[in-house]
Amino acid sequence: MPSKSVGAEYIKGLWEENPVFRQLLGMCPILAVTNAVINGIAMGLATYFVLILSSVVVSSIKKLIPSQVRIASYIVIIATFVTIADRFMAAFFPPISKSLGPYIPLIVVNCIILGRQEAFSSKNSVGRSLVDALGMSTGFILALLVLSSIREILGMGTFLGHQVMGAWFKPWIIMILPAGAFITLGILLAVALVIESETKKRKN
Amino acid sequence: MNLSARMIVVLTAVGLISGSLMAVVGMLTKDRIALNRQQEIEAAILEVVPGTDTSEELFTEKNFTIYGGKNRDGNLIGYAVYTSGTGFQDIISLMFGTDPNITKINALSILEQKETPGLGAKITDKELFLRFWDNKNAGSALSLRKPAVRSQDELAANEVNTITGATISSDKVLSIVNQSLEKLKQIKQAGKLISEDNDAE
Repeated sequence: MPSKSVGAEYIKGLWEENPVFRQLLGMCPILAVTNAVINGIAMGLATYFVLILSSVVVSSIKKLIPSQVRIASYIVIIATFVTIADRFMAAFFPPISKSLGPYIPLIVVNCIILGRQEAFSSKNSVGRSLVDALGMSTGFILALLVLSSIREILGMGTFLGHQVMGAWFKPWIIMILPAGAFITLGILLAVALVIESETKKRKN
Repeated sequence: MNLSARMIVVLTAVGLISGSLMAVVGMLTKDRIALNRQQEIEAAILEVVPGTDTSEELFTEKNFTIYGGKNRDGNLIGYAVYTSGTGFQDIISLMFGTDPNITKINALSILEQKETPGLGAKITDKELFLRFWDNKNAGSALSLRKPAVRSQDELAANEVNTITGATISSDKVLSIVNQSLEKLKQIKQAGKLISEDNDAE
């Protein structure tokens, strides 16, 4: 089945199959935690950790799991890594853990992770699953970064807590409220679609 | 092995392994998490009862703890009340400090809140909100100054400033403090603020 090169397997997660902009997965964390760049980064790294380890474990024990109980097994495996990430953050990065609140435990139900297990890791070798997970989580981090940068800069005039806009700038509070998340995501999705259709036209 | 047996074995094994992994991680991080929390409370006590060298718990019940702050010589220099109440969105946990006679509030510190970002969340802002709580008269209940003023001098001794655009959050903080202040006075009057030094259990 594998026809793609290892590089292509990685690159596809960044754009062509970007979990957020192309597959529209993981919308809950994308909307909820992107009001500050630091939250976006923390969420991205936690997802990175969980996705990579889950993919490696699932792809290495895929032959042992009867298909009837595969989803239950995947979820238990994912939940284990999420709990580890959550406890680790609470122990070593308490302020971030506090500001992310329930969204770290909620990675368990992030569709990107379960989706990759079901669509990829359960059918591919450990190596390929690792590369796929790396690409997908990098794509997810990129999306979180873009969204949270736009929202933090417009909503608070800061980037990672540092003032970047001049004194003339009046923060658009709506950008750090939920409505701002939907507006920004909507615009970014539209831009992604335009770019996609333009590149297609050029290829033909 | 037939299918149902295999399903049971696999699920049990996955559950056992993941359970033990989580137990290990839980044990490894438990102390550290408790320590973080303790440090956070100690830092807050120092902030609301300046000059505290050691502090001890004098009274505790659900969502309401009174700490006594002592200076280097072991004299009581104030009380820190750690409590929580309903905010506009979710629970607000805060701490405020008073002098030993409960005549004034030294300062206020917000430990946990989930108010609206950019609006109610400003209750954690020193410049906009918290500094207006410094050295307030605690003789009677505090009241809220609306609309907001810019300088401390414009406020009466028992008035605190509102945050423009977040009156509800400001008001919620105020009512939590007023209620706890009343409670603190009652507890002190009832003689329930027992220090371990003169009343070893």
